[in-house]
Amino acid sequence: MISQLFGAVMLIYLCVAIFFLMAELWSSDRLRAAARFLLWLGLGVQTAALLGRWWQSYHLALGHNPAAAFSEKLRLIILQAPVSNFYDSLIFFAWCLPILGLIAFRRYFKGYLGALLAVLSTLLLAYASLGGVDSRIKPLMPALKSNWLLIHVVTCFLGYSAFALAFGVAILYLLQDRRPRPSLPAPPILDGLIYRATILGFLLLTLGIFTGAVWAETAWGRYWSWDPKETWSLITWLIYAALLHARLLKGWHGRRIAWLAVLGFMAVLFTYFGVSFLLSGLHSYLT
Amino acid sequence: MPGPHLQSKPKSWLWGTLTSIRLTVFLLLILAALAVIGTVLPQNQPPGMYAARFGPVWGELLWRAGFTNVYFSPWFLAPICLLALNILACVVHGLPQAARRATTRLTPEAALGLPERGRITWGPRDDPHPRITAALGRELGRFQQESHRDKEIYFGERGRFRPLGPYLIHLALLLILAGGLIGKFWGVDGQLPLDQGATADAFRVDSQTVPLNFQVRLDKFQVTYYDQGSTPKEFRSDMTFLKDGREVSRAVCRVNEPVSFGGYTFYQASYGAQATGPIRLQVTLGDLKQTLEVPFRQLVDLPGGHGRIIAMQVNGNFQGFGPAVLLAFARGGHPQAFWALQDHPALGEQPGPYRFTVEAIPLGYYSVFQVKHDPGVGWVYAGFLLFLPGFYLAFFRPAERWALVLEKTSQGKWQGRLLGAVPATARNSPPARNGSWRP
Repeated sequence: MISQLFGAVMLIYLCVAIFFLMAELWSSDRLRAAARFLLWLGLGVQTAALLGRWWQSYHLALGHNPAAAFSEKLRLIILQAPVSNFYDSLIFFAWCLPILGLIAFRRYFKGYLGALLAVLSTLLLAYASLGGVDSRIKPLMPALKSNWLLIHVVTCFLGYSAFALAFGVAILYLLQDRRPRPSLPAPPILDGLIYRATILGFLLLTLGIFTGAVWAETAWGRYWSWDPKETWSLITWLIYAALLHARLLKGWHGRRIAWLAVLGFMAVLFTYFGVSFLLSGLHSYLT
Repeated sequence: MPGPHLQSKPKSWLWGTLTSIRLTVFLLLILAALAVIGTVLPQNQPPGMYAARFGPVWGELLWRAGFTNVYFSPWFLAPICLLALNILACVVHGLPQAARRATTRLTPEAALGLPERGRITWGPRDDPHPRITAALGRELGRFQQESHRDKEIYFGERGRFRPLGPYLIHLALLLILAGGLIGKFWGVDGQLPLDQGATADAFRVDSQTVPLNFQVRLDKFQVTYYDQGSTPKEFRSDMTFLKDGREVSRAVCRVNEPVSFGGYTFYQASYGAQATGPIRLQVTLGDLKQTLEVPFRQLVDLPGGHGRIIAMQVNGNFQGFGPAVLLAFARGGHPQAFWALQDHPALGEQPGPYRFTVEAIPLGYYSVFQVKHDPGVGWVYAGFLLFLPGFYLAFFRPAERWALVLEKTSQGKWQGRLLGAVPATARNSPPARNGSWRP
């Protein structure tokens, strides 16, 4: 039932993308308003579905570990947040993207940029719903039973989303740079947006790496073990660190920064998908 | 050319290179590229594996050049050390000035020297003071007021400590690297396998034995499963720590809940089961039915003489189906291995002609702990904690200095001149609110 809801949200986001695109092409305010409305609708349904999944997962766990005291229940609620497998992570990523977009760049979440972000969310949900990903809620393995799970996943995926925003703006920048459209934000504004999203993503990715390190120290006794996921998150971190240094200290702007943001997002995608499927390790979703 | 000049030139070249941002970006990208190698090329495998996969020449080359353990090879460590030097040099180079700027408060004299941003005039009968006070209070929070001969100066600043932010970030990174180094040199990381009921007073690091100045006993190891399934719910080791044979403390070690004692931390790393006595099997061959005691890992002749059997491995919960034993049956040719399940005798293929049913497996669990002492962890965590205020100051706290100079003009009107400085980046591109961090 809940996974069908995510399927519906996928269709809504697809409509959002189409409406934003049409609104831009025909410069229609009515279509833009409709896209905005659909975006909020999709977000509302997705939030409800996420909470529903959380509730289900909590009740499943309650069956395994009857908890009486409030503190035990609270711990179980935190542990059972729907962020523990690949399916969960896909739908959570698809939720973080529009949320962060609306918080960070409310004014610019429209037109091509809005369409691009909606398409990214649609693709993530499509993969979750149609890609043969196991959507069953499973009891937690001992290694995942940690209070760090929630904060680690939330910071990492918010970070990924911020980098996705930077990527979206960078694509828009490169388009604008080639053939400017007066209806879209001017390149200097886009340049500033790339920078802002990158700072946000860098902070969140750093927090994600730190929380992961503290967790690994309590779970495995090693805050860093050169696991492929860890290493790729470090590679991503290094690329964005290079971007920030190039911009702040070498005065790089515009196209070069946009290309670095694109490269960084490729590293993000590899950290998320590539490592899980092509390389084996502690974070591999296949085992 | 005089001597001192010759001497100072190479030093300044070295210093200039070490503090250059070009070096930083180069090192960051080099490290990223090298890190990729380590994730694509399987690490720490025996040399034979590389020879089989990449051919004898390339395999040997990769192995000898250190690419099969790249994160601990000079290829990786040298750029890391250089990066640490680079960061250190930049901190030494810029921190004094940043500290000076952070400790210099905005004075009225300095405020008067800020560039002008706009002018406002009020009529002679208006009293601008309350409006200015309200507006500045709203925009700046705190501000000061001072009278200078015929002028009144309102001035205030925000983000005075911002120049320190980048240095805190980079000091945090140095702390993390230092923590890693300290752990490498002064830390111990080993393994301790313990049978249920056994006591140990030493653990293994690689192939060496490291003594503990206390004893540790595994009272009990338990693994529980969700609903009799194969997903483990909990690995739990009940341990007792002893000093000179006397019990000092008891603890429960689980995954994610390590136990510390006597300067070492014990992590639940792995577990296993072994047979503590002979395994009782019922052997059926046609009408023949006989109970056989099979000692663990010893070849036993089967009744009827049609082959021999050995119990190779036991498992407390084989794929969620309960206790099982891995048997190997040999009848002249190649031995055939199969699992026999105690609770599900019908499950699983058996080679024949015999049929084996498990009557009893005397199981004893053992638990494997990771034993660790790492004095560097505190440094690493200190680095994590220092990073956050540094990042806040550097990126979320733009430095701003504002002043409003109020004067009476010759016509008796009030004139306010707004002076101010905001970071360079904030002026170039409207949405960004941060400046470059180097003065």
